[in-house]
Amino acid sequence: MNIIVDILKATIPAGTPLLLGALGEIYVERSGILNLGVEGMMIMGAVSAFGVTAITNNVWLGILISSIVGGGMAFIHAFNSITLKANQTLSGLSLTMLGLGLSGLIGKRYIGMPLPVKLYNLPLGALKDIPIIGPVLFDQDPIVYMSYILAFVFWFLLFNSRFGIELRSVGESPDVADSAGINVSKIQYLAVIIGGMMAGLGGAYLSVAYAPAWIEGMTAGMGWIVLAITIFSLWRPERAIIGSYLFGGIRVLQYRLQPFGISPSLLNMLPFIFTILVLMIASREISRKKISAPSSLGVPYFREKIL
Amino acid sequence: MKGKFLVVLSLVLLVSLVLNTAYGVGAEKKLRVAFIYVGPVGDYGWSHAHELARQYLIKKLPWAEFLPPAEAVPESDVARFIDRFVREEKADVIFTTSFGYMDATIEAGKKYPDKIFFHCSGYMRSKNVGTYFAELYQVYYLNGLIAGALTKTNKVGYVAAHPIPEVIRHINAFALGVQEVNPKATVDVRWLFSWYDPSKARMAAESLIADGCDALAFTEDSPTVVTVGEEYTKKGKQIYTFGHYSPMQKYGPNSCVSGQLVHWEVIYKDILEKIRRGVYTNTNLENVDYWWLLKEKAVELGGEFGVPINPKFVSALKEKKVVDPVFGKISVYDLIMKRLSQMKANPEKFDPFTGPIKDQTGKVRIEAGRRATHDELWNIDWFVPNVIAKIPK
Repeated sequence: MNIIVDILKATIPAGTPLLLGALGEIYVERSGILNLGVEGMMIMGAVSAFGVTAITNNVWLGILISSIVGGGMAFIHAFNSITLKANQTLSGLSLTMLGLGLSGLIGKRYIGMPLPVKLYNLPLGALKDIPIIGPVLFDQDPIVYMSYILAFVFWFLLFNSRFGIELRSVGESPDVADSAGINVSKIQYLAVIIGGMMAGLGGAYLSVAYAPAWIEGMTAGMGWIVLAITIFSLWRPERAIIGSYLFGGIRVLQYRLQPFGISPSLLNMLPFIFTILVLMIASREISRKKISAPSSLGVPYFREKIL
Repeated sequence: MKGKFLVVLSLVLLVSLVLNTAYGVGAEKKLRVAFIYVGPVGDYGWSHAHELARQYLIKKLPWAEFLPPAEAVPESDVARFIDRFVREEKADVIFTTSFGYMDATIEAGKKYPDKIFFHCSGYMRSKNVGTYFAELYQVYYLNGLIAGALTKTNKVGYVAAHPIPEVIRHINAFALGVQEVNPKATVDVRWLFSWYDPSKARMAAESLIADGCDALAFTEDSPTVVTVGEEYTKKGKQIYTFGHYSPMQKYGPNSCVSGQLVHWEVIYKDILEKIRRGVYTNTNLENVDYWWLLKEKAVELGGEFGVPINPKFVSALKEKKVVDPVFGKISVYDLIMKRLSQMKANPEKFDPFTGPIKDQTGKVRIEAGRRATHDELWNIDWFVPNVIAKIPK
């Protein structure tokens, strides 16, 4: 029993950066924009959160700046793909490369520096004493609690608000949305920037809470797992919770199962096997319709000229 | 008269030539030195350590010109970088610092016979390609002594990057140290299959702690294990950790007891000075292989330069007594210091890999009294008995 609680308790923080990134990317893709730059925005979030925290001794300021930086990076992608209608795949990929390179450059001076302040676990009084659920869910650090709230807010807004309806209709059929009087570019800009802020936050979680240290390339491919979770969750925030903790849990299990003689190489492959399977299913046109991917995902919207 | 003049002239020329080469008088052509790294220099591990050495050399060797290094060079791509360094940047000496660069470096040696190459951690050499390595197994053994003395649960953990001989050798050396002071303790291992992935390292460390380990060593390129140890220690569960490669005590002032530190600059300085003096040329490197240990000061015990053991833990190590066949009843602290000075002054006197040493199946691998050879250590693929993990096949 203890072992299970222990594994679940480790799963939550392992899945948190994935959850934060995936919630954002769901909004981005729901608006019809594909942003492959998650890895780049995450790592920029990580380095800026670390840098600002190291300079100001204020973790929360670092976290705030990281989401602004993530949002700023996303703005570049938004400008490319919405205003200039450039190729979204290329723009996103270059964002990833830009982020990895730039963060290395900025982060040089922070290598080997311990953080003066960091986020510690904050057990939530009475909730913590609930058997099993208490220690697993309510003995974590503040960003984890924030991620629970954000997941709920993202789900609620997407399906129960005017903004959510507009967002979804823009991703499904921008011309219909446009003729219904929705400002397509505005919604898309908003979604892409929210996505960037969430990715930045996910990166900040790594550098000020999970690691906590700045190490070049510390996201180590998490941005790509975020993209897989986005598809895995079929663009629904509530399923992203399951997806993120599942993928986080697989990463934790790799190490817990090693002593039982289960090949670590096999477990090491699991997240990627899942990702490939999901991508295979999701990329088939027929199933694509069935699983309701945003119909205009990755297609630039050209407004018809009314003569 | 004319003959005398010629003799004087040639003497003057000879003296100036000697002065030129030995003291750098006059317009000497600077030796152009290039480095190729496999990782980003910011990994705080392997490539970072080589870069620190390069920075040190820039200050210390004014007669050499250090070209901007090439970082994060994929192993399949290194030949192109060597070409660039030779042709465009006119490098005279090129250091290739990853095992995977071995074949390409040997090839480059054939292609550019007038240049000098040094390959780190490989075993292939040729007339203009030498090899070098700063080896840490003695230091891992010393850390094993500390871990064995401090563990309360008799379970010691090890977070390991890849199941390759270098890492296996280090785990064995560490386990031999643990065994010597605490025969009841076991060493468990978690494999990352990655040199560098802080989040995996955290999960591996937490999984070892969950299984009851309270002392953790590691071989991978981030300070994560020390950070995790510090977190648990602050929450009231003392975890002892050992830094690796770079000074990591600052990441865990209450957890990091000691560690392994490397001084690549010692090796690089020796190589470059010998090239400058003409000891090493592009024709005589066939047998030049640096395998430098504590004695050569290429490696150091500690979590911080100049601090062999975190002062916080010194009294605990002084209180713990063991009976040594040679020294009699002795505190672990004194034992560590004795072994350290033995290996520093005279490694012939003591080596951790001295028989009898069995493997996990009980088979004798190193017979009583015999010392493991360089090649045995270099190719080691078995665990000593107190390691309870298996080597993944």
